[in-house]
Amino acid sequence: MKNKVMVLTKVIFKNSFQNMETAKSTNESKNKKSKSMIILYIFAFIYLAGIIGVFSNGLIKELIAINQEEMFLGLILLAIAIFVLIQTIFSAINLLYYSKDNEYILPLPIKPSEIVAAKTNVLLITEYSIVAILGLIPLTIYGILTSASILYYISMLIVLIAFPIIPVLISSLLVLIVMSFAKFTKNRNRFQLIATLFILVVVFALSFTMNDSTTTPEQMAQMVIKANGLVEMLRGAFPTLGMAIDGLTNVSLENQILNLFLLVVTTTVIYIIYIAVGQKLYLKGAVGNLYSGKKNKKKLDEAKAFKKSTLFKTYVGKEFKILIRNPIFLMQCVLPAILFPILIIVLTFAGMKGEQNGVEMDITSMVTNKTSIYLGVGILCAIQFFLMFIYISATAISRDGQNAVFMKYIPVPLMKQIDYKVFPNIVMTTFMNILTIVMVEYLLKLPIIYLLLITIAGIMMGVLQSYISIIVDLKKPKLEWSSEYAVVKQNMNLIWPVILGLLNITVMIILTVVVSGFINSYIFICIIAVVYLFLTMLVRNYIEKNTIKLFEKIY
Amino acid sequence: MIKIENVSKSYVKGKKSIDNLNLEIKDGEIFGFLGPNGAGKTTTIKMITGILNIDEGDIFIDGKSITKEPIDAKKEFGFVPDSPDMFLKLKGIEYLNFLADIYGIPNEKRKERIEELTKKFEIYDNLNSEMQSYSHGMRQKVVICGALLNNPRNWILDEPMTGLDPKSSHDLKEMMRKHIKDGNTVFFSTHVLEVAEKLCDRVGIINKGKLVFVGTYEEMKNKFKENKSLEDLFLEITENEE
Repeated sequence: MKNKVMVLTKVIFKNSFQNMETAKSTNESKNKKSKSMIILYIFAFIYLAGIIGVFSNGLIKELIAINQEEMFLGLILLAIAIFVLIQTIFSAINLLYYSKDNEYILPLPIKPSEIVAAKTNVLLITEYSIVAILGLIPLTIYGILTSASILYYISMLIVLIAFPIIPVLISSLLVLIVMSFAKFTKNRNRFQLIATLFILVVVFALSFTMNDSTTTPEQMAQMVIKANGLVEMLRGAFPTLGMAIDGLTNVSLENQILNLFLLVVTTTVIYIIYIAVGQKLYLKGAVGNLYSGKKNKKKLDEAKAFKKSTLFKTYVGKEFKILIRNPIFLMQCVLPAILFPILIIVLTFAGMKGEQNGVEMDITSMVTNKTSIYLGVGILCAIQFFLMFIYISATAISRDGQNAVFMKYIPVPLMKQIDYKVFPNIVMTTFMNILTIVMVEYLLKLPIIYLLLITIAGIMMGVLQSYISIIVDLKKPKLEWSSEYAVVKQNMNLIWPVILGLLNITVMIILTVVVSGFINSYIFICIIAVVYLFLTMLVRNYIEKNTIKLFEKIY
Repeated sequence: MIKIENVSKSYVKGKKSIDNLNLEIKDGEIFGFLGPNGAGKTTTIKMITGILNIDEGDIFIDGKSITKEPIDAKKEFGFVPDSPDMFLKLKGIEYLNFLADIYGIPNEKRKERIEELTKKFEIYDNLNSEMQSYSHGMRQKVVICGALLNNPRNWILDEPMTGLDPKSSHDLKEMMRKHIKDGNTVFFSTHVLEVAEKLCDRVGIINKGKLVFVGTYEEMKNKFKENKSLEDLFLEITENEE
């Protein structure tokens, strides 16, 4: 079994990552280009790591000052658990069920449990790359700042390997259970959509409960007084969180080893249960998804079926239909625009606004200067953060796969087609923008003109991001894929919206700090909007002048 | 009419995948483009249709240069690519309407054309389903219908018979013959030599990027002074070039 699982893992993984380089380019130029790309990616990772590092460094020092540094471990591990739990929902449903490679894998003489194990391995490996940035850097900095021994670093590696497994398994298990009902459905598309939304709601609800603290004010007071008492509050938030924290903190060597051992054993037991469930349930869902039964021949409504439409409407309509009807694209490209702002803003403010720890906090009255430059830029930074997860433009060419050549043989100018392809991204970023602004207004009650200016600047930021992202996709399109999962998840291009977004946030913050003393906040937000507009015009102009060159890799 | 003038293309520096190709497909003829795998057939078709940039030379579709007036040239042909897996999440009718909008076909004409073509290929009743649920042959039929929707003067088809059932294959061949009777052009690549032998007015054989023969089947037999089948002659020509 082990052998087959390993081989299958390797094949699925390689298959997803193949074509990272364009296969048809020459060896010499390929080598040169891939070398410069590697350098660029290393630079990008260092930049990302740097931001996380600076943030961690500040937070740990603050916590050390109040004798609560272990709280940091709890927070980082909890963040990893929530992040992996939500991420895996998207990935697991895609890789296990909606992936094209099922058509080739299912007929092979491989047990369902082996397929599940291999696909889960791929999920895990993908999540580890995120854990490496989100976990390894902060925990290493923690080790340095607390002058930890070598034992801490060994424990850290064990924890970072073992701890993310259970969130992956919980999400995947949920997916296995819900999708096993697929065979009872006649309308495959509707079932996929409802099942996906149902699982998302369950996982979000789980994340909410994990964040919910039931500590009384008296307990809270005691925790604050006691050295590293605050971390106690987090222990129960996730099944293995306590073990992971104790595995990292050195109360006694035996205790540390015992907790690490417990963490590994618990993870192994849950893994065995998961594989057993996979053996029983996987085929029910997978086959149900592949063979949707009898095809219904729905009659054409002749009165509506042959209606002429404008080129803009028909092209953008096609883009939206493909985005919405494909569950993988819907989940990874469209839903984040709606879900992330709601989830993060509600999560952040719910705790502050509601009655927590017996202290009533009203965020509306807490913010006294409603037209503060920092507040405006802060909201724009939040919008920029959400923008980083909207991949419609960044995958606009790759999503078409080998059909992308279609763009080149139809009699429609390429620049026009780029505008049409970018449009859904602009629509969704604008929607996310308005959603965020509405929630902010509900919570903070800002003056309407100030809010309007922030909205305009935010929308311009979205338009700029839409055009930049499509350049990234045009320069390195991922056209040969066997699973849609590869386009949205195992696609290195998608790091660029994150890098550029973080860069934008950094620049905005630095500029704000520099100019905040002598510029009116209304004017500053106006300037930001104008700068984005100007940059958008520059970027669009660049695309227009270089269309033929930019489309060279699509053939 | 399709005219290929001194066209060359390299993927790798110093190694020409297409080497100084000259070819004219006249009005009123069906032209079969033959060659072993990797000989340059698809590369040539991709250059004719504007998918690939041309390194040297030019291609004209009804006198319009694909490099200098690409949009006008693209209006002059209908293209069937080698893979029919086009936008599978769209319904058949949505795909055809999408193409009709791209080519600006008015309501009345589009209804007439879609009905005529899809009923001929017996896919009319499936048009309201997503193309993902179609068989390979059905997808191929929808793509062919899409390419012929605006009744282009030049048909360019890359392996069009693949996946078609015998009746549809027969119908497509009939449609090709009918199309050229009105003075139009059909250019297609194929591996099925029997089809080329029976259907084409002329054939071109490409091997290692070079055109090694252009002419009728009769001319080919005369040239090699052998009364062999097209298959035998094809093998002989391409093997001699090895």
